[in-house]
Amino acid sequence: MIQSVNLNIDGAIYSVSKGTSVLEAAIEYGVCIPHLCHIQTISDIGACRLCIVEHVVNGRSKVTTSCTLRVQDGMMIRSNTDKIKRLRRNIAELLVAQAPNSRAVQDIAVRCGVRNVRYPFRNENCVLCGRCVRVCSELFGAKALGFVGRGKDRRVSAPFNALSEFCIRCGTCTELCPMAAIPCGGYMKSGEERLCGECESQMLLANEYPDSCVWCELGEGFQCGRY
Amino acid sequence: MTKISTIPALETLRQRILGDRENIRTTLTLCGGTGCRASKCQDVIDAVKRELDGRGFSETVHVRSTGCHGFCEQGPIAVVEPGNIFYCHLSPDDAGEIIEKTVTSGEVIERLLYTDPVSGEKIRTESEIFFYQAQDRHLLSQNKQVDPCSVEDYIAMGGYSALAKTLSGMDPESVVQEITASGLRGRGGGGFPTGRKWAECRETPGDEKYVICNADEGDPGAYMDRCVLEGNPHLVLEGMMIGAWAVGANQGYVYVRNEYPLAVKHIQVAVEQARALGILGENILGTMFSFDVGISRGGGAFVCGESTALMASLEGRTGEPRPKDVHTVVDGFRHKPTTLNNVETWANVPSIIENGSSWFSSIGSEGSKGTKILALTGQIQNTGLVEVAMGTPIRSVVFDIGGGAANGNAIKAVQTGGPSGGCLPVDKFDLPVDFDSLAAEGSMMGSGGMVVMDEGTCMVDVARYFLSFLQDESCGKCVPCRLGIDRMLEIVTDITEGRGSIEQLDLLEELGETVTETSLCGLGKTAANPVLSTLRFFRDEYEAHIGSQKCPAGVCQTLITYAIDPEKCNSCGVCKLGCPHDAIIGAKKQVHEIDQVLCQKCGICGSECKFDAIQVN
Repeated sequence: MIQSVNLNIDGAIYSVSKGTSVLEAAIEYGVCIPHLCHIQTISDIGACRLCIVEHVVNGRSKVTTSCTLRVQDGMMIRSNTDKIKRLRRNIAELLVAQAPNSRAVQDIAVRCGVRNVRYPFRNENCVLCGRCVRVCSELFGAKALGFVGRGKDRRVSAPFNALSEFCIRCGTCTELCPMAAIPCGGYMKSGEERLCGECESQMLLANEYPDSCVWCELGEGFQCGRY
Repeated sequence: MTKISTIPALETLRQRILGDRENIRTTLTLCGGTGCRASKCQDVIDAVKRELDGRGFSETVHVRSTGCHGFCEQGPIAVVEPGNIFYCHLSPDDAGEIIEKTVTSGEVIERLLYTDPVSGEKIRTESEIFFYQAQDRHLLSQNKQVDPCSVEDYIAMGGYSALAKTLSGMDPESVVQEITASGLRGRGGGGFPTGRKWAECRETPGDEKYVICNADEGDPGAYMDRCVLEGNPHLVLEGMMIGAWAVGANQGYVYVRNEYPLAVKHIQVAVEQARALGILGENILGTMFSFDVGISRGGGAFVCGESTALMASLEGRTGEPRPKDVHTVVDGFRHKPTTLNNVETWANVPSIIENGSSWFSSIGSEGSKGTKILALTGQIQNTGLVEVAMGTPIRSVVFDIGGGAANGNAIKAVQTGGPSGGCLPVDKFDLPVDFDSLAAEGSMMGSGGMVVMDEGTCMVDVARYFLSFLQDESCGKCVPCRLGIDRMLEIVTDITEGRGSIEQLDLLEELGETVTETSLCGLGKTAANPVLSTLRFFRDEYEAHIGSQKCPAGVCQTLITYAIDPEKCNSCGVCKLGCPHDAIIGAKKQVHEIDQVLCQKCGICGSECKFDAIQVN
């Protein structure tokens, strides 16, 4: 028998099965919590930190990622407070300044309310979400990709920088890569990067119902859990 | 050495060791800690042993090479007992004289005594030195009594009697209660109540549990754990064994940095000795309790001091933290309940069991009990390790024990808690050193590093230094830590190089809050502290860098120029010879000048000039 627990997200009570994460519960019930590194069916590592929520325990709230937080009975979650929105916007701003040439990252920036970017753009081609690494090892058991290096030198690479013999060329890594789709306005050359913002109209409805999924198109670029 | 198979046999062994030592008339304690080793104490120790062998004193004179005494500034150090005579700044040539005069006839050698910097008097005994008097040396004083490689020394001073007490009469529950009642809090930085941690681990069901000693100390300028592990490894082992008994673990690990070769060696020797004695292994002291310790050497990643990253590294995976929504006392090493404590925390355990929790809780302040070892470094007279009761004001640590500024400059700030701690200005020096008071002012206790800075230190440059350290050491797993620290460093570097704007200060604060709130592990959560605390207390320095393009302390190279004061210049030409860029012009007997185009602002001329004629603008 699947046990279910009740948890409170932004005042509404939801009943979900034990063992799921708060993010999965939110996606299931159409509560919008922006996320990037999460993919259904594979493990969560809490790398992008976009899915942060406030977890209220004994009247004190703690900021934590909803993808790594398992549901518990009577749990109290706040997903859309001013503080969370501000923190989420700052993280999205860091991401879009780092990798503006991704439709997914640009869309997330819009969804998280970034209106201008206060850092110089960098035009990197990877945000180290680790989707490719996890899907390769967990779904296919191939481990043909992994993280190399530490801190700002961290990157995704094949073992010894050579195509691994375990790679079955399934292409799932590229399919899931948030960097795979370029912004609608086309590739931005170095020095020409900007915040795209063309999808801001999508936010008209989202702003009205800030904590609900309104089936906006902003999640398409990165396989939002709703699609 | 034969195995000890019962609890009373330990006491018998202690009496036998003490009996064997009755003949010893004089004990020469020489510090062999890392600080003194850097001042070549090993040569002194070898010379003393050579001299003694030549004179046939080996029966009556005992030479003990110990761990750190704490007064590293004065190394190499020796203490002669009886008499408690304290000698400092020794060289191998002094060995003969010490044996001839002090050991043979008890005569004191004036020349080798410590000079009090205030009164200028020579001080004869160790206990009269103010540096030691002002402290509350509970852990560090034990270092002096044991040779870290000698289990006999440790047993002779009463070692393993707390373990015997635990195994003979205390059930695990009452050990946990005793530790909880003592108010001991984790010395690694977090300050989590140790008793609560043990209780949670004990209550978690499971046959397989672990205890781990975190000796992966990596803060710049901090070396307390190193000195405890190097100087008294059996004390740490005993603490771990009591902890293991309390939580129900049969296996422990010491995760120690490979950059601490002496600590690695000493803990290895201690584990082997304890195994040989039957203190580690199956059925310890004839009881049903079995426990063993493995030693794992860390590869030098700062982030591996974080508990989950340490456990990942111990399991053989990449040392990266994972979210701690489920605590490691429930799901830790190999997904089993694990109690992880810092070296100093474990070292405090035996004396709490031995002397009782009320003894321990009588020391210290309201929320923080016991003593804390601090690594006092920076622009200060007495650098070294100091141990004070929790709640001692910073002022007393810096000015009384530390002896104030080293070079006559005024002290400006103190940085507590290592790279993740904050900088506190002089007007906050009345704050007590304890977990809660420091955290309330935006700094932290951390592992106990205390870097003192004087007027010649630029606080923006300090923030930049710590950010670049943390940027190097961040594992890169989560966005706020990897990109947030990187962007903060970018902004602070801009400011130190004169490209900053006032709006960037608000951005720094906002970004600092984001990194603090949203990072995955403790490294990121505290990474913004150096920036936020310097911004809070030294905002005027940031503004001077931005607004008037000046570095008040004369440190940030882009914002300063060197010039020669024609009044003071003696035209000697020393600076001209020293300048690696040939930027100083002027013939002999002619006042020199600096060519600003060629000058690379290295500051060599300033240190070469004997007439103080080089000015920094």
